[in-house]
Amino acid sequence: MKWNTLSAGLSATALVLALVGSAHAKDVKSIAILTPEQGTDFGWNQQGIDAAKAAGEKAGIKVVVAEGLGYGDVRPTMRELAKDGATLLIAHASGYNTAAPEIAAETGVAVAIVDTPKGLKAGSVADYTLSGHEGAYLAGRLAAKMSKSGTVGIVVSGEPPSWNSQSAGFAQGVKAEKADAKVLYAVIGPAAYADAAGGKRVTEAVIAAGADIIFGQGNGSSFGMLEAVETAKAANKVMFIDVIGDKSKIDKGNLLSSVVWNMVPVYSAMIADLKSDTYGTKSYKISLADDSVRLLKTPQIADDVWKQIMALRDDVISGKIKVEPVFEAAQVRALMSSVTEPPK
Amino acid sequence: MEGLLQVPFLTALLAGAVTAGIPLLLAGLGEQMSEKAGVLNVGIEGMMLGGAYAGFLTAISSGSIWLGFLAGACGGALVAVPMVILCVQRGLNQIVIGIGLTLGLEGLTAILHHVQFSRTYPRLARVETLPIPLLSDIPILGPALFDRHPFVYLAFLLVPALAILYRGTNFGLWLRAAGDRPAALDVTGIDVIATRTVAVIFTGLMAGLGGAFLANVGAGIFVPFMTHGDGFIGVVLAMLARGRAASVLAGAMIFGGCLSLTTAFQIAGVNVPTDVIQMLPFATVMVVLIVFGRQASLPVALGLPYVRGER
Repeated sequence: MKWNTLSAGLSATALVLALVGSAHAKDVKSIAILTPEQGTDFGWNQQGIDAAKAAGEKAGIKVVVAEGLGYGDVRPTMRELAKDGATLLIAHASGYNTAAPEIAAETGVAVAIVDTPKGLKAGSVADYTLSGHEGAYLAGRLAAKMSKSGTVGIVVSGEPPSWNSQSAGFAQGVKAEKADAKVLYAVIGPAAYADAAGGKRVTEAVIAAGADIIFGQGNGSSFGMLEAVETAKAANKVMFIDVIGDKSKIDKGNLLSSVVWNMVPVYSAMIADLKSDTYGTKSYKISLADDSVRLLKTPQIADDVWKQIMALRDDVISGKIKVEPVFEAAQVRALMSSVTEPPK
Repeated sequence: MEGLLQVPFLTALLAGAVTAGIPLLLAGLGEQMSEKAGVLNVGIEGMMLGGAYAGFLTAISSGSIWLGFLAGACGGALVAVPMVILCVQRGLNQIVIGIGLTLGLEGLTAILHHVQFSRTYPRLARVETLPIPLLSDIPILGPALFDRHPFVYLAFLLVPALAILYRGTNFGLWLRAAGDRPAALDVTGIDVIATRTVAVIFTGLMAGLGGAFLANVGAGIFVPFMTHGDGFIGVVLAMLARGRAASVLAGAMIFGGCLSLTTAFQIAGVNVPTDVIQMLPFATVMVVLIVFGRQASLPVALGLPYVRGER
């Protein structure tokens, strides 16, 4: 009798625990993504929005897009989206990293932030510091193979960790391919993401210093970089390697490649973690292995060169070539060349 | 240092400084007239954006960069109209309206860009230049200063033209009076509101031209938020210039030069954090403020609405 009572008690407890557990797992009905610029930039904003929509469709949930919010205070928009019932707010800009965790604490809605690996908070805040450093390494190998001047340039509109790791990966790739190649590095300005004129001005200076391939990282400013490449009065045809998105549709013949990011696996993993109550316990990554990072093939790349690059890709995936991410700006700069260096 | 002293590199740096300085010069000259007349025009950033959008749209549609500049000037002037109605005529707070205009134009031009350009991102071809004989042959200085689009020369010529306007014409006197002693100007029979209206519309024209130059020559493309605070720097330059057009030119070129220097330091691999290097233009402005700020003489009635008969 006693055993039966105990058994029944244990069963009841197990049932209650199971019910409580299932009540904790979130019922994800809608997610929202907030971006500083419109989702038509062939880059960071567009890839983020497209990926959120794709991940939402895959999971059968509604996706609300709040785009073109600028780099100012997004708290009112986040509060509104939380009030409208979003289960997850993806704050798709490093400029939102302060506001988003505050809103998570205030509203109880989970948020995703970028470039803050230490900002994790179980059930509340997750980070996706994405790094395409493996793809950037391949882009560096490609640039060194195709540069005629032996000098390539990196132009960036800021120094967030994701871009630092790509700048470093690119420089490592260039040096691995051609040790005596010069890698010139210039930042347009503090958070000059929309500074197209600055992008053009700085890129023109880097080209004048001898670079014939530009690895450009910027949102709106990358169009200024592209304009500088297209209108350059240089001895060799100047080529452009983009990041995150695919600008093939608007290319005038100067787009050499792009380190393309696919964020669908990242957002899908976030939704899955929300459902399984493990959200905020880990950072999310992208890599060559699952094609969430890939190098874009354009008509400017000869087939034999592409074959060599793909062989290198296999080596990176297998671990034969190790490309470690470098997130600190000072370490990135240490990898760069100076225009004042004599030719080796 | 051999690499740093290459002629093409130094030419690109100097040319970049001029290209970066021209929008600031135009914005600063426009703001200067507005401030002389007693109107603090914080909406100049919005006027630049309006000019950038209208100028680029016209240039890319018509294929004429000159029509683009004309449209840019008109676009900037159009944005200045609400400033005239609300601040000059209705006497509302100039700072509040100016900020409102800037925010409004940021949103409006971003939407227009989204609708018109965001799928194709059209870009202009390289602008043709007009080399000035002999001068354009000077190494480094020649290509950077004397082998430019004619608009650049016109922008520089505006400086002496405005200096003459301020010092040698009745209108220049009216402007100063509208900013310093509007009631006294009114007593002489000159319409203070009309004088301030002309000044604010002129500010819009100049800011619009600056924006059009930024989009059509500086970037070759229009993207949202592309003025990136240039209008506000123009306000600072106008305040520091103490009413002198030549000082606006000096300030604009110092700022543009500092921007180019930041690029030069980075490419030269100067072992200083990029953040520190990039502070240079702003730090220079702050130093100038500290050194010359005390001597800055702003119009007595700056920012104050004029109401006839009110003390």
